[in-house]
Amino acid sequence: MYYDFSAIVKYFPFFLPAAWMTIQVTVVGILLGVVLGLLTSFSRISENSLFNIPAKIYIYIIRGTPLLLQLLFIYFGLRSVFGFKAFTSATLGLGIHNGAYIAEIFRGAIQSIAVGQMEAARSLGMTYYKAMRRIILPQAFKRAIPPLGNQFIIALKDSSLASAITINELLLKSQQLASSNYRMMEMLTIAAMFYLFYTSIFTWLFNKIETKLAVSGSR
Amino acid sequence: MIKIRELEKWFGNLHVLKGINLDVNPREVVVIIGASGSGKSTLLRCINFLEKFQKGTVEIDGKVIEKNNEKMINEMRIHVGMVFQHFNLFPHMTVLQNVIEGPTQVKGIPKKDAIKMGRYYLEKVGLLEKENSYPSMLSGGQKQRVAIARALAMEPSVILFDEPTSALDPELVGEVLSVIKDLAKEGMTMVVVTHEMGFAREVADRVIYMDDGIIVEEGCPNKIFDEPKMQRTQDFLSQIW
Repeated sequence: MYYDFSAIVKYFPFFLPAAWMTIQVTVVGILLGVVLGLLTSFSRISENSLFNIPAKIYIYIIRGTPLLLQLLFIYFGLRSVFGFKAFTSATLGLGIHNGAYIAEIFRGAIQSIAVGQMEAARSLGMTYYKAMRRIILPQAFKRAIPPLGNQFIIALKDSSLASAITINELLLKSQQLASSNYRMMEMLTIAAMFYLFYTSIFTWLFNKIETKLAVSGSR
Repeated sequence: MIKIRELEKWFGNLHVLKGINLDVNPREVVVIIGASGSGKSTLLRCINFLEKFQKGTVEIDGKVIEKNNEKMINEMRIHVGMVFQHFNLFPHMTVLQNVIEGPTQVKGIPKKDAIKMGRYYLEKVGLLEKENSYPSMLSGGQKQRVAIARALAMEPSVILFDEPTSALDPELVGEVLSVIKDLAKEGMTMVVVTHEMGFAREVADRVIYMDDGIIVEEGCPNKIFDEPKMQRTQDFLSQIW
């Protein structure tokens, strides 16, 4: 067995649909995760137990079980109830999973803003919600950017687990092709190249955002 | 203007305010002195309900503030400005944005008018040329003067100062105190918690000495500083002079 570089060139085009699928699953999953994460972090810091207890339970369950299990659970379990397709199950699973982590990222960022900021805003007569929106959240978002970028990269790589529920993304594609051409190492290399390409874009994008935010008002 | 009656406050088991009665009249400057832990900052923070208390009442401009009435508390805070020890400027906003945030967002003043007002008050604290700077670019003394302008821009009927110079380098204390002195001359009603005794003597109409959660003695500065009646006041003053 030798490593055949020509196989990489030859099979590269076959990966394009799978690469597109990986992007779709990741982006939809992340968007869902951000929305869920925001809502959950607000519920989590609320003093009303009607909000904070469900948020705690959600985070407890999701962080305490593997993503692969969650995907299988949604795919086999909820599919029969709601009739989800594989793509819906994958994005929902990834979204719910990332929502729990993103909620904790936002919560940490919000709580890292000094109490004095809230006090100063309230002493001007602002309501709690206005103080949150105008004073706390703009500062918290800035602090959430680095860990958020990290989480997005994790989400991208975690999308490979969707291969277990028949999503034809990069990893599943590499294994399918390898089972017919016996070029496992080369196929995995192609998948790895795509992942590296995507993570590079994420990293570059987040560095850009960080520098931009650092310029406009610092601390 | 401010009427505090039988105010009591606990932090858990710690009884920090033990029945405070205090009146602040319009155009009066009341300075509260006392050792750390005497409850003076807590008392100040109870006036605008940043701190909740268990017993007693606070009446502002003739209205007894209900402690569970958020709307009433927010309305009251429009008329009661506050300046903090650690400035608490909004770091993501420029100096001018800091100053107009309250007027535009809380009082609903149109931005154009708020900017005019904001510049007027920045001029007053001598920082108009810094209007486009961010707080991180300012010295401590400049930050505190911006914080004072931010409080002034709400055009409050009284301003509370919580140790406004305690976090400043010694050489920056003077510029902040002189701004506060100017306000006193103009007749602004103020309640000031401070460790600056010279300043207290100069600016105060009335000095309150607090210890262990009670008002031990109050009176005009000459009376308190030169001939304190109570032993505790004498001990405190002999320690710090």
